Amino acid sequence: MKRIVAILLAAAMTLSLAACGGSSSGGSSSGGGSSSGGASSGSGSGVDFSNMSVTCVVPYDAGGGTDAVMRGLADAAKGSFKNITVENRSGAGGATGMLYGANAANDGSIITMVTVELATLEAMGNNAGLTYTMFKPVIMVNSAASAITVKADDDRFNTLEDFIEYSKTNEVQVGNSGIGAIWHLAAAGLAKEAGTEFKHVGYDGANGAITDLLGGHIDAVAVSYAEVNSFVQSGDLKVLAVMSNDRLEAIPDVPTCKECGYDVALGTWRGLGVPASTPDEVVDELYRIFSEAAASDEFKEFMDNTNNVIDIMDGESFNTMIGEQLELYTELVDDLGLKVTG
Amino acid sequence: MSLLMEIFRTSLTPVVFLYMAVGVFSGICIGALPGLTATMGVALLLPMTFGMEASQGILMLLGIYCGAIYGGSISAVLLHTPGTPASAATAIDGYALARKGEAGRALGASTLASYMGGLVSVLCLWLISPQLAKLALKFSSAEFFLLAVFGLCIIGNISGENIEKGLLCGCLGILVATVGIDSVTSYVRFAPAGNYNLMGGISYIPIMIGLFAMSQAFENIEDIFTEEEVQAKITNILPKKEDLKKIVRIAPLTGLIGTFIGIIPGAGADIGSFVGYNVARSIAKEPEKFGTGSVEAISGPEGGNNGVTGGAMIPMLTLGVPGDAVTAIMIGALTIQGLTPGPMLFQQNKVLVYTIFLGMFIANTLMCLFGFAGIRLFTKVLSVPKVILTPIIFVLCVIGSFAMKNSLFDVWVMLIAGIVGYFLGKVKVPTSPAILGLILGPMAEKNFRTALLKSGGDPSVFFNSVICWFFIALIVISLFGGKIKAMLMKKKSA
Repeated sequence: MKRIVAILLAAAMTLSLAACGGSSSGGSSSGGGSSSGGASSGSGSGVDFSNMSVTCVVPYDAGGGTDAVMRGLADAAKGSFKNITVENRSGAGGATGMLYGANAANDGSIITMVTVELATLEAMGNNAGLTYTMFKPVIMVNSAASAITVKADDDRFNTLEDFIEYSKTNEVQVGNSGIGAIWHLAAAGLAKEAGTEFKHVGYDGANGAITDLLGGHIDAVAVSYAEVNSFVQSGDLKVLAVMSNDRLEAIPDVPTCKECGYDVALGTWRGLGVPASTPDEVVDELYRIFSEAAASDEFKEFMDNTNNVIDIMDGESFNTMIGEQLELYTELVDDLGLKVTG
Repeated sequence: MSLLMEIFRTSLTPVVFLYMAVGVFSGICIGALPGLTATMGVALLLPMTFGMEASQGILMLLGIYCGAIYGGSISAVLLHTPGTPASAATAIDGYALARKGEAGRALGASTLASYMGGLVSVLCLWLISPQLAKLALKFSSAEFFLLAVFGLCIIGNISGENIEKGLLCGCLGILVATVGIDSVTSYVRFAPAGNYNLMGGISYIPIMIGLFAMSQAFENIEDIFTEEEVQAKITNILPKKEDLKKIVRIAPLTGLIGTFIGIIPGAGADIGSFVGYNVARSIAKEPEKFGTGSVEAISGPEGGNNGVTGGAMIPMLTLGVPGDAVTAIMIGALTIQGLTPGPMLFQQNKVLVYTIFLGMFIANTLMCLFGFAGIRLFTKVLSVPKVILTPIIFVLCVIGSFAMKNSLFDVWVMLIAGIVGYFLGKVKVPTSPAILGLILGPMAEKNFRTALLKSGGDPSVFFNSVICWFFIALIVISLFGGKIKAMLMKKKSA
């Protein structure tokens, strides 16, 4: 009798544990399972997503910036699908998840968050076969320019000009989120344009670089404004310039690099892509759904709160832009001798 | 006093208690399941908090955090399967005790030690967080390198009698960790071109599941049809007086050390628990019993890993700098609510800050209550026949390693690690040093190189700050402490 009770209890415990695990991985299986049904109805005439489960692949860890934007967007678009789940497949600087998404079913059931790394990884040569032509871009939703940020009480640098001039005669250490990652390339791009050199210090993610800057162990960081916003507001850090085309709404007094005479506009961007073989009508329908979601008040408020800038671009122009970015970064990487050979 | 009233009136309503209880309970479940870590649990439930009020959401996440760090030790004790990396050190002695039929005693000790470690860290968070927070910014690459080296010294202490074998295994762990894209120069190491799985590196969680759980399951197969003689005695749930003494002597201290580790950005509960184990061994009354099922050896890491929870909150709330991966996600949770962690939070949202302090205390208490209430239930797992339990462990191992990144590659890694672990066990090589090497090896390497990069190749950077010297002293003591002690004893007696 006792034994039976014990077995039952153990079974109950395992089931509840398995249920816990299911919440993380179950989403993917349900997405894959019911998608085939949706595809057959979709390929007939008009495309209808309302009875289809879709999975959005984020090539980075849960809890990060890319993950947050995707989850916010998925939440805003959830009414248009039977079911929408977000799945994190991180690894190899984003190549793992993007390769998975590029090789997925072409019925629109698996949508991938593509980021600037789609261009930079290939430029660096550590893309593991990933290239942007494997995707048909659907929509770009968000972009963030690099912001040259220093300590607020650092009297050496009050303008970008100070910073550049100082770097010509002294060593300045600029922190980034990882060697070869976008913030490294952005800082290197500025140095190249200004005819100077920085010493680039790579961290695992922007957080480490910002913490080291706060502690006074390095001179500057070149990460996005969203990542330093709280420290700028608290008065610990100051932004010298941003590498965007226009001044940022949040910091209207800070000039762009272009205004300072350096023609660089570099930063990250995020959007959605589906495998290249996906039919156009599926892509069009996805664009309709997600552009509506991105225009919703709910998503706008979400992006405002997280200090992200909404930047919409349709699939075609997005595709052209990615191609241009790849060219730009390939040239930059070649100049800097960063190309990976191994 | 009026602040306290306001907290209870506005934020700590019964509904919030319910959210916290749900958080702690699901945290314990997530923690107990190998492969699902505290970081993952918090990240997975983060979207649920979008629609909640700030205090509700953050308190639920706190509940998950505390629960998960504790929950990992349940499976570590019962199945020799650390549910999270933070419980890897607990598995050594906890499982040894469970084998002796004293699983209840082990779980009781780990629950109480976790509670004490958690309480100490909450007290630090509450009383002296602004003063402690500045410590977080003092840490740069050189200090991180020395911390990692100090951590690696622990291999000597968790290897049992076979220090050579332990070192060998530790090196194996460090070697495996070098696979993939090197983070300082982006050079691809030990990975064939185009293999994006290997390029991304081999993560330590599937290896941990393989080395501990899968190898144990393989071993179970050997005598799967024999009846286990060990009957779980569940009479000693509440620690007896002598155990209580040991726990009270060790857990608050390792809790305090865990708090400090938590404050340091980038060092989380896994490191806290190993350092806790090491400290417990050096101050234990019976260090010779470590590895054979010692209550002191359980209290050390358990106090240490739960101490990290409060510690990691300190730089997050006061500076806006996350103390570990979980608090990094919590910063996200707060910003989504339109709140900015950092010095401004204390001025603009005093009620919320104190709600978090109080909530952390309540979360720890709930964790302790759930823990003690559940021990009877948990220990039933041991009376399940191996024929049933072993396949369940197999399934959990596969699910756990897949769930991490939804990657089948990780399942293969887990299987290979399981086979390697099985044979290592046969030749009596301890496997926990491999985990230590996997976690700390890359941290040591990366920070060593970054420190030298920043200093332009000048090695004096490792001797430049007080913290550096502090860690150098710790390293010397942990390597030669025994020898020095013996020499001093000789002099005294001579």
